[in-house]
Amino acid sequence: MTIKTFIAIPVLISIFALGGCSQNQNDKGSGAIGSRGGGTSKSHAGGRSGKGGSGSGTQSGTIGRGGASGVNSRNGSGRGGAGRGGAGRGGANGGGGGNSANNTSDITLAGLNDPHNLLSQRIIYFDYDKASIRPEYMVLINTHAQLLAKYPNLRMRLEGHADERGSREYNVALSEARAQSVKSIMAIEGVGGQIKTIGYGEELPVATGHDQKSWQKNRRVEIKYEGY
Amino acid sequence: MNKITNKSKIVKKGGGWVLHTAFSRVLAMLAGLALMLVSVNVSAELELHISKTTDEGIPIYIANFAGGAAGIITADLKRSGRFKIVPRGKIPRISPYGGSLNAGAYQNVAEYIIRGRQQGGGDLEIELISTSDNARTLYRITPNINPRRVAHKAADAIYEKITRRKGAFDTRLAYVTVINKTSKNPTFRLYISDSDGFNPQAILSSRKPIMSPAWSPDGSRLAYVSFETNSSAVYIQNIFTGEKRLISAREGINGAPAWSPDGTRLALSLSQNGNPEIYTINVRNGRLQQITHSSAIDTEPVWYGNGSLIFTSNRGGSPQLYRISSKGGKAQRLTFNGKYNSAPDVANNKITFITGTRGAFHVAIKSIGGSGRDILSNGTLDESPTLSPNGAMVAYTTLRNGQNTLAVVSDNAKSRQFLRSPAGDVREPAWSPYLHQ
Repeated sequence: MTIKTFIAIPVLISIFALGGCSQNQNDKGSGAIGSRGGGTSKSHAGGRSGKGGSGSGTQSGTIGRGGASGVNSRNGSGRGGAGRGGAGRGGANGGGGGNSANNTSDITLAGLNDPHNLLSQRIIYFDYDKASIRPEYMVLINTHAQLLAKYPNLRMRLEGHADERGSREYNVALSEARAQSVKSIMAIEGVGGQIKTIGYGEELPVATGHDQKSWQKNRRVEIKYEGY
Repeated sequence: MNKITNKSKIVKKGGGWVLHTAFSRVLAMLAGLALMLVSVNVSAELELHISKTTDEGIPIYIANFAGGAAGIITADLKRSGRFKIVPRGKIPRISPYGGSLNAGAYQNVAEYIIRGRQQGGGDLEIELISTSDNARTLYRITPNINPRRVAHKAADAIYEKITRRKGAFDTRLAYVTVINKTSKNPTFRLYISDSDGFNPQAILSSRKPIMSPAWSPDGSRLAYVSFETNSSAVYIQNIFTGEKRLISAREGINGAPAWSPDGTRLALSLSQNGNPEIYTINVRNGRLQQITHSSAIDTEPVWYGNGSLIFTSNRGGSPQLYRISSKGGKAQRLTFNGKYNSAPDVANNKITFITGTRGAFHVAIKSIGGSGRDILSNGTLDESPTLSPNGAMVAYTTLRNGQNTLAVVSDNAKSRQFLRSPAGDVREPAWSPYLHQ
């Protein structure tokens, strides 16, 4: 017990410290890379992880590190927890671009509804006024692309969204560009024809707050499968 | 239909008035020069009128009278930011409409005295009396199905007489509301109201987003974006008959419609070729013409005359305003201050837009061709500015008690009113053109 506490404290402190610098970096998007950027994540990318060290930081390392295997740790706070960008971000240090899903046998339609499968994660978060993909999402995106490749009749909708800042039609364009960014990575697997994109701008937020935390939740692309 | 009749012109033409007019012409020329040299002289119209209290607006006294029009006229004139409403107590026992009045005795109190009469829902009669020369102007406004419009027409007549600019109170706003916006079943509604927010009427309701209402130049139709079919589409709807017509439902974005001043075309943003570009579409035959060709986001076009378009583009790395011929060609950048300038609207050679400054978004205004800009709003997330057709007021939305609310600010930022609106989050006001019916 005491030993665990000793370990936990420095970990929490470091999470808080990283979270502290996140405020600034959120808007600059300095950690994000171009959609073709692969695994060249910058060292401070992890700093943009969920604020407050509520545990999302611990989960987050796993996803970026190596695809599906990390999924099992996604049990923190239901739907929002892992997906909320806090999720992948800590793992950016691991270099997301490397190895896409480690076990293709996991990539099945059944996996879509299995909360322990990476495929159950369907939200990709973005930096302010950016449509570039954060490196930690490469594995997730590739995994979904492989599912499409495996099931040629499967159809996907990528629904882009923006936060409330800035003008509404510009945000429609920005959110469509986000959906297009995801599509263009998936299209490398030859599945572009199975994907439709749409930009909803800031019209359909999931969080109503007028603060960084809500804005981050709203800057997203939702992956939706027809019939699932 | 309901014409304002200028029954009798100025009764007495005092020497002071003539001098006044000549002097104001000189001032007008000077003000014009100032407009060209300085960024935007938002108080130019005020300076046209000689007043000791320019900073406060022209002092006017509006006598109360039965029927409710006095209150509407007062609120209208106040909202324009050009008048100082003299408290009623300053002229205690003023005689009613038509009664004898030694207006000159109140020269130090008000420049104009307004009296009115409206009997049993009949004509509204208005008397505008100048205290400097006792000149009287009479107006008679015939009844309307919407009784408030009668008062707005009176306010327009008074505004035009005093400022020598057309009034824009008898106009409309279109806007979108949403209730339950984060739920699975939000409700979006497209509303039309009077320009002061009264008489809201929903003309469209949808579970899917409605966006970007834009008025036809004759004020009879609205173009807007609907996501009803799980993709975006631009429609035109007649506001009187409800008749609806699909204009564009191409692959990708169909957004940001804006009517050309001659009513023949819509400018809009389409991403059918993968990237949002500005196009124009002929509303009769559907003929499409691509205007911009860039790899960046090009959206939010508005017309500046029939010959050019102003739009938002991030081709320079951040959203900024650009101007381009409506036939295409090379775009010219218009905004240089700050990293976020977008959502333009144009009227009367003025342009209003959203500017991002240190994390907040405000309404800005500038003269087209001018270099600087003035900030008109003071919220944190102000959006969707739209100019009254005379360019004297800007409606926009601002966060108030956690919800987006309609506000109107005068172009000189001296007056700001929050408008009432139906329940829900309000967004994207669009100010109508002058009404013809």
